[in-house]
Amino acid sequence: MLPHLDAAYTLARYLTHDVNDAEDAMQEAILRAVQYVDSLRSDLHARAWLLAIVRRECQGGRRRRVDMVAVDDVPERLLADTSQAPDVAADDSLMRHRLQMAVAELPDGLRETLILREIQQCTYDEIATITDVPLGTVMSRLSRARARLRTTLGGLLDFEEPS
Amino acid sequence: MTQPPPRLGDAMRDALPVYRAPDSLRSWAQQQARKLAAGQVPPRRNTGLRWFAYAATLVAALALGWLGNSVFHASRRAEDRSGLVASLVDTHIRSLMADHLVDVRSGDQHTVKPWFAGRIDFAPRVPDLAPVGFPLLGGRVEYIGGHTAAALVYGRRGHVVNLFIWPTTVPDETESAAAYNGYSLMHWTERGMSYWAVSDAAATELEAFEHAYGSQGR
Repeated sequence: MLPHLDAAYTLARYLTHDVNDAEDAMQEAILRAVQYVDSLRSDLHARAWLLAIVRRECQGGRRRRVDMVAVDDVPERLLADTSQAPDVAADDSLMRHRLQMAVAELPDGLRETLILREIQQCTYDEIATITDVPLGTVMSRLSRARARLRTTLGGLLDFEEPS
Repeated sequence: MTQPPPRLGDAMRDALPVYRAPDSLRSWAQQQARKLAAGQVPPRRNTGLRWFAYAATLVAALALGWLGNSVFHASRRAEDRSGLVASLVDTHIRSLMADHLVDVRSGDQHTVKPWFAGRIDFAPRVPDLAPVGFPLLGGRVEYIGGHTAAALVYGRRGHVVNLFIWPTTVPDETESAAAYNGYSLMHWTERGMSYWAVSDAAATELEAFEHAYGSQGR
């Protein structure tokens, strides 16, 4: 569990858009992971297993938060994380900024799949396990996520999946 | 125009930061892992961190219901409060964890109040507290400490207040506060109803809530 803490926290940050929500999801995920660690049979699967737990906790938190938002009438855009990691803030470029914004604006299902693939560099099988969908859905989500970014960012990037 | 554009994956790894888990989270996780290795249950100490309170409350509420006895600071014993505080906090947490916050979701008191008719044999007062900063989120029915209870759910700046209500025969009592592993509770009885408000908001917020509930439509 511990070697994968940064990966899990990074996923939580991208799924929740919010530092506090990410930490909340992480503490709940860790508790669950500790409780159910017996069900984990192999270290090979530890990362995917932990990421799957974190993802579930992020979704639970998001539902609660959206409930609150609906009542408190706060525009959901305000929930987006506007902070940046220091190393990025230091030498931000227009391209990076546009890419960050484009990824942040992807629908949840597409964003999590793309983050797991490109940032966490999970295999398709791992992504299917973590997000609890068939392999074909993973492929189509990746393809739709790339298509959306292509629409937003045009010819600035090469969108072909490396073979 | 001669440079090929960078690949999406490379650009993303360049532009999107990999975050490092905060040290507080890391050391807590390490502690949990050590406890696990030592065959101990997760810790019950309260460090003041809100997620730690969450952990401690979970463990305490699940495994040590009697612990409520030692942390509830009230001398009156009109009701058996020993296990009740723990089960109230337990129910509060469960309502937040399991996507089970409300069975009737509405900010309209005239929708929520009639919803209870036919489900419980008493009519809880459902005031509109949105003007004083506690928007109504909805309601549900709970079974706590041998009582069928109405649970009214109010919001407070990102926090949730669960107000549990059931009929009682004890005389009116003014409010008394309790704290249980980082959660605040406020109890009072009025006109044959026992009220318990539970929240992770500060105790002062719950006081404000009790005041608001009490002064509306009394």
